[in-house]
Amino acid sequence: MPWFAAAERLQEGIFHSERVCPRRHLGVLFLRASHGASAWQVRATLDALWRMWSGLKRGESPELPGMRIPSENLTVTLGYGPRAFCLEGMLRPTPGELAPSFLFRSPIPAGGGLVLPGSGLRYAADVRVNLATEDFAVQFLADSPLAVERAIVESWALLRGLVDESTGVAPLQITSHFTGHTREDERSWLDFHDGISNLQPGEERLRATVIKPTNRAEDAWTVGGTYFAFFRFAVDVESWRALGRKTQELIVGRDKLSGAAITSLDANGNPVTAIGCPIHGAREVLPSTATAVDEPPDVSEEILRQSHAQRANHHRRDIENRDSLRIYRQSFEALEAIDTPPGFRAAVNFTCYQDTPERLVRLLTQPGWMGRTNFGGDPDSPHPGMASLMTTRAAGVYLVPPNAEGESFPGAVAFPKD
Amino acid sequence: MPYDAPGFADTLSPALLQRWNEVIRENHQRLLPEYDSGFFSLEPEALRAPVRAHMKWFGDPAEPAVCIGRVAARRLSDWGWRGRHQLHNEYVEYAHTWRQDASGKWRIKRVTVTTELREYWTLIAEHSPNGLRSLVRDTIGLTPGWKQLYNHEYPFELSPQERKIAFSRQCAGHGDDPALIEAGVPAQPDGDLNRDHALFMTHPINGLDDLIQIVLIGARPYMRETKDGVRPATKEQVFRMRVGQERLACRHADPAAAMSAHGAACEGRTVALANPIGVYLLTMNSDLFHVGEELLPKHWIHFSRGKPGMFQRLEFGPPDDEQEFLDDISIAVGSSEEWLTGGFQLLQHIEIGPLVLVGEGRALSETEHIMATTSEAPVRCHEAAICDQIRELNALYEREHA
Repeated sequence: MPWFAAAERLQEGIFHSERVCPRRHLGVLFLRASHGASAWQVRATLDALWRMWSGLKRGESPELPGMRIPSENLTVTLGYGPRAFCLEGMLRPTPGELAPSFLFRSPIPAGGGLVLPGSGLRYAADVRVNLATEDFAVQFLADSPLAVERAIVESWALLRGLVDESTGVAPLQITSHFTGHTREDERSWLDFHDGISNLQPGEERLRATVIKPTNRAEDAWTVGGTYFAFFRFAVDVESWRALGRKTQELIVGRDKLSGAAITSLDANGNPVTAIGCPIHGAREVLPSTATAVDEPPDVSEEILRQSHAQRANHHRRDIENRDSLRIYRQSFEALEAIDTPPGFRAAVNFTCYQDTPERLVRLLTQPGWMGRTNFGGDPDSPHPGMASLMTTRAAGVYLVPPNAEGESFPGAVAFPKD
Repeated sequence: MPYDAPGFADTLSPALLQRWNEVIRENHQRLLPEYDSGFFSLEPEALRAPVRAHMKWFGDPAEPAVCIGRVAARRLSDWGWRGRHQLHNEYVEYAHTWRQDASGKWRIKRVTVTTELREYWTLIAEHSPNGLRSLVRDTIGLTPGWKQLYNHEYPFELSPQERKIAFSRQCAGHGDDPALIEAGVPAQPDGDLNRDHALFMTHPINGLDDLIQIVLIGARPYMRETKDGVRPATKEQVFRMRVGQERLACRHADPAAAMSAHGAACEGRTVALANPIGVYLLTMNSDLFHVGEELLPKHWIHFSRGKPGMFQRLEFGPPDDEQEFLDDISIAVGSSEEWLTGGFQLLQHIEIGPLVLVGEGRALSETEHIMATTSEAPVRCHEAAICDQIRELNALYEREHA
């Protein structure tokens, strides 16, 4: 019995349970309803897509009837953006938690601009359109890159078959996609371990992620679901590597090699890590096996309080309270080819789940948390390059409705049947 | 080491300082029979290797938002003294300053936010009428008459206890103090001075005793059996350990304070309220607020009544000699821009809390564990009894604004 019965209705792909490890490969596909498409048409299209994705999960490919393909434990998670509820004929209003105050800003027309006022996250200067704010987002996770990419290609193929000859478009169109993977060493492009201070598997994750009942009757159908937020960041590895190890560690709040939390500074201002950490003679604190004892403890020194690890988690134990600002998140690294030297761009896909995007908005904007800072450190006096260590290339927020008995796909209840 | 005046805002005479410390200890002592904890201390200097703990919360009232939704919660919380008296129970209260604009329309000019403790002001009122008058003058820039403070022409004729009762009736309310209730002091003050100027908090739940109590409630190593062994109890279990306290889990302040103390206790750490005891306005992102396209002028955001990091008072908005009003200010929240219509929106972006230290941890023995056998089921905040009262207030509001 989970902490909260409705949590059993959470869609797959959230990986909240202690029994299941998250898949290593991510794909996120963004879909837009074509101009004039009705809710009924979109429902029929999502229904077809969902059946096709379910087939892929069973090892069935539309192009290879009767053949078995490796499903690679594919999971599919369907999210709804605020505009999805504006389709003509939709039966549910836009959920209160998808109000504009819980969404991200668009880039400014000339490119760049703040993702959220009060935060230190900006769009990259060349980003003029946010490719992650669409009607629907689909998260694919699998054990191989192919399984994720196949799901994207088969989605395109299916939609291509639904093109209306008179309009030249299908009811849904693919607008963009992003892919990425976790690293075997459980580190990020910053070379530090990533995700040690995440919520513990099981109940902790559910408490933060699952939408709870409220008195807003029109949103009752969302209880048991979650809100999915996605960021695609470019990582300025060059600026990061120009910093010394000590500076990097003070920005992150952990030892670079071992991952142990920094608890204080010695007389020379050098970081001191927790005694006995990592435990049991291990050389590293790995995110996949980290426990509560690996959480960074409260610290007094201001420079440590400004580190990423201390800003992102203030150790609130009432996790189900929205103002604990706890979120459950994953990161998937990526490399993009670009036309300018060195010919590639290091990137990371940041995904997180929470019972309301309000948690994320406050976390990213409140001083003392991530407010005004790009990643960590003193926002009034950042180290060179650290005010733009992470630049946003796309960002979006989606409702992930709960599974419901008798529905052909999650959230179908929001659509008309006929 | 005795506790100084909250926020180091005032220099007290040795006698008043001693009395303030007695008030603190009396409040603590009264709670001990029911809430004594070896993991709580009023001697922060005695902690080994102390570090600052994060014990803080957002100031917007949580209960009405849970009960009737954010929009109605904002409307009710901003409903003058009625909203304040019933809903401002997160250890922060506010009042609006109204002025007429050029067309003669009454509009809110400023929001005044306070986290000052009622007990502190009452102490000054009890023992130092002149000190009280200076305090009010320094805080709001106006020297009040004795009648405004005590509803009495010459409070020096009164005994200290009579002054305390008179001031409480006029400015402070009874704060759930049995002696004041016995003396017929109402829950909220009769006079306008504090209503209008938000000198200090008057909601009975925002008291010093409540602050100590909520930390004490959590400062015990409540544990639970799990399949992975003994683990700290959940919030729901902690708040169900005593009958009638489950409802506290539905606010911002109480779970934040209690569960912070509980986390420390489960690690064998002692929690201490640091010097000076008080509730403080800890963080606010002023970058969110704009007038036109510009950030607010610095003098529109005036923190006071404490040293930096320990401010207890905020006056937010344009001064009287400038033409703008509060609703000329916009707040950038997410992708939206909202006009600032009152204190509720402001408090959504301000974190409140006491200064708290935690000492060095130690391994607890099994005999120190308090095994919680209470239910872990979610607290159904939206069905709490307080929601009935809030809905009644909402109905009253709607009738008056029909």
